[in-house]
Amino acid sequence: MGKTADLLPGTLDMLILKAVSLKPLHGYGVLLRIRQISGEALEIPQGSLYPALYRLEHQDLLIAEWGQSDNNRKAKYYTLSAAGRRRLREETAGWNRSSAAISAALNATAEEV
Amino acid sequence: MKRVRSLFRLLKSRGNFEAGMTEELRFHIEQYKDDLTRSGISPEEAARRARTELGSLVNVKEDCRDARGLHLFDELLRELRYAARLLRKTPGFTATALATLAVCIGANLTIFAVMASVLLRPLPFPAPDRLVTVFNTYPKAGVDRDGSSLTNYYERRGRIPAFAAVAIYRHGTAITGEPGSTQREQVTRVSPDFFSTLGRSPAMGRAFTEEETTYETDGVAILADSYWRQRLNADPRVIGRRIRIDGLPRTVIGVLPADFRFLSSEARLFFPLSSRPEDRGPGGRHSGGNSIQMIARLKPGATLSQAQAQIDGQNGALEADDPEAKMMAAAGFRSLVVPLHADHVASIRSTVLLMQAGAFVLLLIGAVNLVNLLLIRANGRIKELAVRQALGASRRHLVSEALVETTLLTLAGGLLGIGVAAGGIRILAVLGADHLPLIAPLALDGLSALAALAGAIVLGAGLAAPIAWFNLRGHLGNGIQSESRGGTTSHAAQGLRHSFIVAQIALAVVLLAGAGLLGLSFERALAVSPGFRSDHILTGQIYLPWTDYPTWAAHSAFNERLLREMARQPGVSAAGLVNNVPFSGHSGKSAATVKGHVPRPGESPRGHYSYGVDGDYFTALGFTLREGRFLTADDSRRPERVCVVDEDFARYYWPHSIALGQRLFEGGEERRDAEAFTVVGVVGAVKQAGLTDDAAQGAIYYPYALRTDDSLFAVIRSSASPESQAGTLQKVVRQIDPDLPVNDLRSMETRIADSLIARRSPAVLAGLFSVIAVLLTAVGTYGVLSYAVALRRREIGIRMALGARPEQIRSQFFFLALRLLAAGTLLGVIGAWFAGQAMEAVLFQVAAFNAATLAGAAGILSVVSLAACLLPSHRAARISPMEALADQ
Repeated sequence: MGKTADLLPGTLDMLILKAVSLKPLHGYGVLLRIRQISGEALEIPQGSLYPALYRLEHQDLLIAEWGQSDNNRKAKYYTLSAAGRRRLREETAGWNRSSAAISAALNATAEEV
Repeated sequence: MKRVRSLFRLLKSRGNFEAGMTEELRFHIEQYKDDLTRSGISPEEAARRARTELGSLVNVKEDCRDARGLHLFDELLRELRYAARLLRKTPGFTATALATLAVCIGANLTIFAVMASVLLRPLPFPAPDRLVTVFNTYPKAGVDRDGSSLTNYYERRGRIPAFAAVAIYRHGTAITGEPGSTQREQVTRVSPDFFSTLGRSPAMGRAFTEEETTYETDGVAILADSYWRQRLNADPRVIGRRIRIDGLPRTVIGVLPADFRFLSSEARLFFPLSSRPEDRGPGGRHSGGNSIQMIARLKPGATLSQAQAQIDGQNGALEADDPEAKMMAAAGFRSLVVPLHADHVASIRSTVLLMQAGAFVLLLIGAVNLVNLLLIRANGRIKELAVRQALGASRRHLVSEALVETTLLTLAGGLLGIGVAAGGIRILAVLGADHLPLIAPLALDGLSALAALAGAIVLGAGLAAPIAWFNLRGHLGNGIQSESRGGTTSHAAQGLRHSFIVAQIALAVVLLAGAGLLGLSFERALAVSPGFRSDHILTGQIYLPWTDYPTWAAHSAFNERLLREMARQPGVSAAGLVNNVPFSGHSGKSAATVKGHVPRPGESPRGHYSYGVDGDYFTALGFTLREGRFLTADDSRRPERVCVVDEDFARYYWPHSIALGQRLFEGGEERRDAEAFTVVGVVGAVKQAGLTDDAAQGAIYYPYALRTDDSLFAVIRSSASPESQAGTLQKVVRQIDPDLPVNDLRSMETRIADSLIARRSPAVLAGLFSVIAVLLTAVGTYGVLSYAVALRRREIGIRMALGARPEQIRSQFFFLALRLLAAGTLLGVIGAWFAGQAMEAVLFQVAAFNAATLAGAAGILSVVSLAACLLPSHRAARISPMEALADQ
């Protein structure tokens, strides 16, 4: 397990939406998928995962349905709703804008000022 | 909205939600454990790690519920359960509170239903606020309202720019059905533009046309929906069908929509308002007689005052060629334009508002009572609340707890109140609400019920405010101690309770005094003598259609036979006929001119009640004869033109000379001598329209032959009870003419009582409200004083141990009650003075500030509240020092 980074505040929802957007997932799957797509760099605190999922479902960004897991157990699967897809697009664009701006700011050298 | 719906779904399947959440979390833990095991960790260690990493399951679940928006509901549910448990624990308090609320809210809702159907609902027509009525008034002649004449209609139609449409109508009755099974129906005769003025058209068929307004062509009818359904079996091909009206066929040309309702009219048949061309000319301009009424619709943008100005202008212009103009001007003639709705309900508007105010005061008294009881209860929980606050209960929590509790109470009370109102409306129907000029039928509809529940919630919030204030006032520590020492009580709380008692007593005094004024008015009205002996008289209306009785000869034959047959019946001592009995509600005034009378300066012409009488009318009704003789049946069958006047008339025109032998003319001017009537008798004055008539307007009685009318009232005096004669009268009339029903059969005493319904019912209602108010005040005073005694039990015990005598203790509480009573009564008397001023319009021969009523109200309340304090103060005096000190 490599070095893990702390989750920035406000990014958990965005990451969950992204994870679910790739493929319907159950809660535990979301955890694994985020770890996987972040190159094992991000670790979600397990205690905050489910409240976040429930919040997103309450906001109609996620749709929850019961289904069968790979090992044939009953599991609750989350998929992205149309609103969730839109939200993910907006958040991704917003994130890219602000992270580019922050990178630019942090990389500034004395000559550029 | 979507989210609310999803939340609602969630609440409905709350069990599923919880089970699903548990299942999901268990799945998570097991998956994680499996993964950990697979990576080589021992199963026990894996299970431990899987559990700890998720954190406390309880917390996670709580967070999930929060995330789903469920915590507010959970809290509310918890508080509701808590409140319900508290209320269950004190059944006496809860029952008292619920009963109070049910009665107070029920009373308000009942009156509100009346107010809604009288004042609040719009008339059921498009743009109802554009509808007006126009009527002639001759205030200086004592005729406030004379309707409109045919002439007015034909002169105004299309000539008043502010009016989009003008129409006239006249209420009446007709006989329908086949011989032997005839029925009387209410009918309204209308001008062709009547329905279009209202903005409604028949659901089937068409409206009347201009061509159908002559006697030769008016054989058509438009039916109300209910008549069509009940009498014609909702025949879909009814248009063109013939129905029998007054013995003649009429062709049905239209059926009205089911929801058509014109003011409070119960007419189910509509005929054209026919007339002869000569009736429409200038000669009939002032012949309204209050039977024909005019409605009009204002053009968009036109105002009432524009319409009034145009009517005034036209009246002025027409007066140029009016021979009667000078007399009419002297009588103060004007045609008034008034909004239709306001005019229709004008007579009861103030009464309804007054009743609503009374019901509201009752609600206030009930609310004050509840606050007091709640405060006492809250005081009993001071310690508990103080402990909870000390343990960290938030202020918000305490407030919402109080709010949930009071709202639960008031909502439950509101629901009960809806039940009470449903019964109340039935009581109102008995009290004569059907006689009210209702815009819509009196009913408890969903909207009023919702309004009641909304009101209950507001009331709940209002009640919660003082409780929450009391609970929050930092009695931390202080509260914990004060109760355990049982010594002193919080002065502020006590002051609050006492001021509420004072307010309650004051409001009850106001209500009692108001009810007293109404009751006294009713009693004074009832005590007025009608001017005749009203006992043992049966009256009934017979309507002789002109189709069957076109001439006086036919009329006369009917009258003679009816009088003869009735006089033969056992027990009957006198039988008479008149075109309108007093208290029938139809008596109209008309002008008469006394020969040789020179108007005094400033004197205006007067309208007099005018009647046609046949048979022994005067004896039957029990008139007193002042001079000369009564008219008899013979006077209608002799050529001499004679009449009888009443003493008011005689005193007005011949104050210093003898009335007998004087001559007068019908109408507003002297005519040829051959048309004069000679006065042959003077009779006592009788009340014509109601016992509370004030103006001594004067009445003239003509022989029936000279004032024939299609309406006829039989007046039968008998030694038996009038009701027992009703069947006989009906039978006799049917024997003479099987087509004729007798209508409006009532004893004279019933008629008089019914005429007072507008005074009696409010007085009865106000009395009912007052009784409840007094009961509530007694409960409130008793509760607060009992509580004061219980609270100071220890203190009293100490004082008695130190030698205080029981009488001293008793009088201490007695004087407390007396002080509260004095303050409340004083405030109440001031309030009653204002209430009396507001009620002035509905009072009869009673001053707005009536010392007797006030003294009575204060007296009743004194007796009741002092009685209510006797038991508590007695209990205080019997406290045993040993027991009191051993407590706690």
